[in-house]
Amino acid sequence: MSTINFAAREINCKIVYYGPGMSGKTTNLKHVFTKVPTHLRGEMISLATEDERTLFFDFLPLDLGSVQGFKTRFHLYTVPGQVFYNASRKLILRGVDGIVFVADSAPNRLRANAESMRNLRENLLEHGLDIKTIPMILQINKRDLEGALPVEMIRAVIDPKGELLITEASAHEGRGVFETLKAVSKMVLERLSQPT
Amino acid sequence: MIEPSLALYGETFEKVEQHLEELLAATGVRYCLLVDRKGFVLSHKEALWAPRPPALDSVATLVAGNAAATGALANMLGESTFSEQIHQGEKGVLYVESVGDSALLTLIFDSSVPLGRVKVYAKKTITAITGLLKTLQDVPAVSFDQSFSVSASALLDDLLG
Ligand SMILES: Nc1nc2c(ncn2[C@@H]2O[C@H](COP(=O)(O)OP(=O)(O)OP(=O)(O)O)[C@@H](O)[C@H]2O)c(=O)[nH]1
Ligand SMILES: [Mg+2]
Repeated sequence: MSTINFAAREINCKIVYYGPGMSGKTTNLKHVFTKVPTHLRGEMISLATEDERTLFFDFLPLDLGSVQGFKTRFHLYTVPGQVFYNASRKLILRGVDGIVFVADSAPNRLRANAESMRNLRENLLEHGLDIKTIPMILQINKRDLEGALPVEMIRAVIDPKGELLITEASAHEGRGVFETLKAVSKMVLERLSQPT
Repeated sequence: MIEPSLALYGETFEKVEQHLEELLAATGVRYCLLVDRKGFVLSHKEALWAPRPPALDSVATLVAGNAAATGALANMLGESTFSEQIHQGEKGVLYVESVGDSALLTLIFDSSVPLGRVKVYAKKTITAITGLLKTLQDVPAVSFDQSFSVSASALLDDLLG
């Protein structure tokens, strides 16, 4: 029976995978779900259309155990990347603690990457959040594609000032997925020991 | 809001638990959850006779997502909120009601349980819990030192390779 230990203290963090449609957000979560030791994760929920496009969100809970007596739990979410789902995208950002921006390396998605980043900034502002204050990793996905654009060219449209930490990935082969998750988790937890 | 929400379970939460326990006893509902708006379970109680509950993490996330969507709809229609949500199935009922701005009370019960009774007791519980959660907001935030960061980092290296 699942009970909560009320003498325990918990840290709960919400991490959101953001980015343009089809960039590989859901693929990231699916890979984590399949490869992470089963005792660390709960069930994955996908609210998707019949053709597997995210409709509302994907959700995967991770229980990482204790850090100095604090039970540490991460909730991973993806947003729907398709432009017209903005209302749902905005809702998922509520209470976000860390973001993975999943960019697509395909040449014809360069503009979509840039627009999605602009959309992220706007949606955060509506929650009263400044994008600069949120731990964020830029994952450049689909590195395996033939004709994948150079990383620096993609960065130039998404993060022109070069402020974000970058990971490279081919999520459908699992490459770079855990590296990205680890990087964002560390940033979020480090935030806790930095007086603001 | 960007700070990871830190649920500190102390005396206040024992009181919250007690209220949920009383609600269970008075109404005959099966499961009773207090969920925060981000979709985390803050507290959970179930009747002694209840079978193993479904995955509570999932329930909490969907309830919070649903409430967020309903709230957005309310705003679009010029309402400040649609307060309660009732989903009635053949065998059971899911009842969700706001606890202030920060939480949601979620009750799952059999169709045979009178809804009116549940509503009356739920309202009482919500009033009580709203007060308690307010006091929780005044509790000073726990501060972590650098060694926390180091331990966290080591744990992540260990688990995620
Ligand atoms: N070649 C290649 N394909 C990938 C990679 N990652 C994901 N894909 C494919 O891209 C397609 C879309 O992936 P999803 O993960 O569903 O994309 P999404 O970002 O969740 O899309 P939305 O839900 O619409 O926002 C799928 O067919 C994946 O198999 C990658 O690294 N390389
Ligand atoms: Mg998706």
